[in-house]
Amino acid sequence: MFTLSAPKLQAITEELREILDGEFISPIEDGSISVLPGDTQQVSLILQYASRRRLTVDPRGGGTKLRWANGSVPHIRLGLSRLNRLLDHPWQDLTCTVQAGCTWTSLQQYLARHEQFIALDPLFADRATVGGILATNDSGSLRQRYGGLRDLVIGMTLVLSDGTIARTGGKVVKNVAGYDLSKLLTGSMGTLAVITEANFRLHALPQHTRVFTIGAPDATCLSRLIHILRESHLLMQALQIRRNKSEAHLDISLTSHPAAQQDELLSQMAQAEGLVLQEINEASCFIRDRPHAEGSTFVRISTLPVDVCAFVDQLQHVAQKIDIDSVSQAIGLHDVMFRGSGDEITKVIHNLSSGPSISVVMLEPGPDVDTQAFRVPAPVMSVMRAVKRSFDPDDILGPGKFFVTQ
Amino acid sequence: MTTHLTPPVLNELRRIVGDHGLITAANQLQTYECDGLTAFRIPPAAVLLPESTEQVQKIIRVCHRERIAFVARGSGTGLSGGALPTEGSIVLSLSRMNRILDIDIPNQQVTVQPGVINSNVTSAVSASGFFYAPDPSSQAVCSIGGNIAENAGGAHCLKYGFTVTHVLEMTVVLPDGELVTFGSKLPDAPGYDLAGVFVGSEGTLGIATEMTLRIMRKPETVQVILAAFDSISAAAQSVSDVIASGQLPAAMEIMDRLSIEAAELSVHPNYPACEALLLIELDGPQAEVDIQMSMVVNICRKNGAWETRLAIDEHARFLIWKGRKAAFAAAGRLSPNYIVQDGVIPRTALPAVLEKLNAMAAAENLRVTNVFHAGDGNLHPIVLYDRTHPGEEKRAIDLSLRILDVCVEAGGSITGEHGVGREKQCSMSYMFADPDLETMQRVRRAFDPHNLSNPEKLFPTPRICGERSRGAYAPHPVEASGIAEVF
Repeated sequence: MFTLSAPKLQAITEELREILDGEFISPIEDGSISVLPGDTQQVSLILQYASRRRLTVDPRGGGTKLRWANGSVPHIRLGLSRLNRLLDHPWQDLTCTVQAGCTWTSLQQYLARHEQFIALDPLFADRATVGGILATNDSGSLRQRYGGLRDLVIGMTLVLSDGTIARTGGKVVKNVAGYDLSKLLTGSMGTLAVITEANFRLHALPQHTRVFTIGAPDATCLSRLIHILRESHLLMQALQIRRNKSEAHLDISLTSHPAAQQDELLSQMAQAEGLVLQEINEASCFIRDRPHAEGSTFVRISTLPVDVCAFVDQLQHVAQKIDIDSVSQAIGLHDVMFRGSGDEITKVIHNLSSGPSISVVMLEPGPDVDTQAFRVPAPVMSVMRAVKRSFDPDDILGPGKFFVTQ
Repeated sequence: MTTHLTPPVLNELRRIVGDHGLITAANQLQTYECDGLTAFRIPPAAVLLPESTEQVQKIIRVCHRERIAFVARGSGTGLSGGALPTEGSIVLSLSRMNRILDIDIPNQQVTVQPGVINSNVTSAVSASGFFYAPDPSSQAVCSIGGNIAENAGGAHCLKYGFTVTHVLEMTVVLPDGELVTFGSKLPDAPGYDLAGVFVGSEGTLGIATEMTLRIMRKPETVQVILAAFDSISAAAQSVSDVIASGQLPAAMEIMDRLSIEAAELSVHPNYPACEALLLIELDGPQAEVDIQMSMVVNICRKNGAWETRLAIDEHARFLIWKGRKAAFAAAGRLSPNYIVQDGVIPRTALPAVLEKLNAMAAAENLRVTNVFHAGDGNLHPIVLYDRTHPGEEKRAIDLSLRILDVCVEAGGSITGEHGVGREKQCSMSYMFADPDLETMQRVRRAFDPHNLSNPEKLFPTPRICGERSRGAYAPHPVEASGIAEVF
């Protein structure tokens, strides 16, 4: 990929002015040009222009996960922050249509006026945007009850690299007309198209939520209880295991009606396992942003549900010189944060990746950490390449992500 | 361009599956000339009955080399012509690949072959207290492979989601014969969500030969309430009020007067004679369901329900559901012929759309009866007609397609669970603009550049959408006998 000289940069800025007001075009330090289109039409014009000039483009929402998937610096950073409106909320239909640049928290605040929400708790919700969360397929503890984004997104407006504006899915939850491109785009890291609008199915906010936590010296002490809970009839919204060097916690969010007295049942189950249940007043244990300290390495790991506890305990023993914090959902999804020697971390992640029944996705490498973003078998990679070529033949979107330049 | 089957190629295919795995006799091919959409019939050039992924792969490699089109088929219960052969194509019937390969209760997943019947998955895990959630009405006969192709739904997808929510991993033979694994037994396979786009692709992106499904814990209790109303809009208002109260029932169904009468004639469910019948099923922990049910009953009464019946034990629930499940086959009691549609509308548009629909039916002098999944706005209007009346069939088909247009205009979809297939491919261009369809085609070309896997389906083509004659609709034998209904 070629970098742009100062005069060239100037020329491109001038040309972009024909599409956008000057105030929405600005050079940034890393050598790319930031543009802030005001609508889908302008996104299309910018991509048409970039396509003609063979300039690479990376969409940007709140900038909270810019380094995920290990992309390279694009010529144009296509910021979507001006597309930040909730376009429609037919609350009786339990759906909404929102522009991609809307932050998650402000969207949820709008929806909460009707006691509704999108049942997903992504990272950095106050800054992360709808488009960025979709592109990175982020999710949190609500996975336990409501599934991931692929179960919640019902339609999208996309702009392809050649400027084509396409809609996929629709505004109704039940819909099997045509290919479900919303699923293909979810988690595609901005490499296939730019998402400018999305339609979601909504859920009613739970009316009764109580959060409990159980402390233990390690996760294995909790594993029998987790198994029992997974097979129980408790109405759980979240079932999460936090682990650090010294201890483990199991966090449970119950949403049943108080008259159902499920808290009693839960307490008895814990007691039978010799564990002490403690109610906590706020649900901050489910906010996973905290361990994301500067310079740490952030990895998302999947295991089978039955392996969750043993895996997070084992993580604490693999390397003495690095610090590891993990937040795991009982379905088998782990957010793991490493701090310490880059070489050690590289080695650990390499060893983890080669194990059976595990998959490791590097989201943010820390300093001196050198690993590939993820591994998929060659035949799947070849389908991914074919899809990429079909959507973005000139390879201008999300440069460097997913695919090693050939 | 696809080519036709020559004797040497046929012999090569015979060597893959053996004599007992190949059908070429004209009278036997007849079974495979249509699926549940019997109005369309095209005999295949040959039918192959592979017994393993390896055989499927070998067959597809030959098809790819020789540019022979192929159509995968499960139980043939599909209602949109998804398994309809294409001129000169072969059919791969996966019914012999019907083994349950692995049951993993601790991880709550089951691995099966595509020919396994939907309800057999639940049967296999029921004793352990689990079930497989997607429940299309044909679940006693339809196959998991077909469910994946169509992204099958059912009455309970309001709460539990569609097939795509419950498929974790698939072994897929691509249209060039490559073997790939889409998705993962672990959450979130890295890379593009190819499993997500494959499910519901109606057989156009390849053939799934093995799949791992999510199973769920059976609810502690299930209760169904039946409520009788004087108008559809009162029943619809109750549905809206239940949703507004923050509850998510397992199912919410409405039947209109005509369909109640038909059900009564057919299976005698002893429904109250009313203009609209609302069925609401709640499931979950006992105490929770008890509380919710009293709220639901209050909502129904407030909206004018003059009779409510609560069914708690399995037998009573079965009786309530019996009439609903038989409603479509029962349409045969009202009229010699009928067409079932599958449009979806935003729930709140229901009263306005029904009014329009009735006016359209009256203008055509045809009767339309309605049974629908009210919770998710999935209408199943049934257009009644008599084929022996000259011109009536054509008017009925035309009306049924115009009903889909109305659904699109209301902000909905042409299909909620039956798929586009051959039946609705010309309606696709009413729902989607050219750039939308062209973008879908990019996926198609990436997977199947030679257009071999179930060609001439799903997308509108000038050849098919130019001709208006759609042939005669006849109920599928399974549907007519009441084993399965057109949900």
